[in-house]
Amino acid sequence: MSTAMNFGTKSFQPRPPDKGSFPLDHLGECKSFKEKFMKCLHNNNFENALCRKESKEYLECRMERKLMLQEPLEKLGFGDLTSGKSEAKK
Amino acid sequence: SSNPFTRAQEEERRRQNKTTLTYVAAVAVGMLGASYAAVPLYRLYCQTTGLGGSAVAGHASDKIENMVPVKDRIIKISFNADVHASLQWNFRPQQTEIYVVPGETALAFYRAKNPTDKPVIGISTYNIVPFEAGQYFNKIQCFCFEEQRLNPQEEVDMPVFFYIDPEFAEDPRMIKVDLITLSYTFFEAKEGHKLPVPGYN
Repeated sequence: MSTAMNFGTKSFQPRPPDKGSFPLDHLGECKSFKEKFMKCLHNNNFENALCRKESKEYLECRMERKLMLQEPLEKLGFGDLTSGKSEAKK
Repeated sequence: SSNPFTRAQEEERRRQNKTTLTYVAAVAVGMLGASYAAVPLYRLYCQTTGLGGSAVAGHASDKIENMVPVKDRIIKISFNADVHASLQWNFRPQQTEIYVVPGETALAFYRAKNPTDKPVIGISTYNIVPFEAGQYFNKIQCFCFEEQRLNPQEEVDMPVFFYIDPEFAEDPRMIKVDLITLSYTFFEAKEGHKLPVPGYN
């Protein structure tokens, strides 16, 4: 943005993800969870909100198998799926 | 030369010159300071207005923990996959689209296969359409910007875990945006070549 030529031109700077890259699941250890999630998406018109339980289970599988850093589920946006939080909110 | 009137006149002129010099020096120092301050001020301006697609501040985990989904603002996320001509992978999204709301984390999958008989290392970057929505698209974790090695005939799932910033729902420029397209492109990683983060113009 140092020259006038750039002001009229859009510039998109890709940003790396907050927690880096997923390690590849070479052995397909979490494949069954992924398939369960995809089936849920297909059955619910691809609405993400209705398949959050399945996506949580997939991420839990990755954390259990060291394919993702351990992280509290609340910090991954699943606070309402944790039993303590949902009871507290009611 | 020893005239009192003349001497007073000279002193007055000398004082005026000193005052003028002081003002000129102050202006020069002020402009120097302003030019240094311009960089952070411009960055601040870009963050508030989104000019140039600059990143909006605050992407920490704590923010995710306290996000409240905006349930009545549904956005369709469409997925696209490409490979550079020299990379012989099969790479495609596993879902054509998903429907998300701002402030809610979402998971999506791509899948890549190496049909050749040699291990291949790929590295990907992404693009978001419309351009202005990119500042609200936050990836928590994905497969981009790092080398991914696929062994011969190997096929793997590649998840993308992301959310749309809740502020998306309050941006007047985003009122008409209800479709965001996420495109990933894989390139072949050459040995020893450090890829810079690309910018598109």
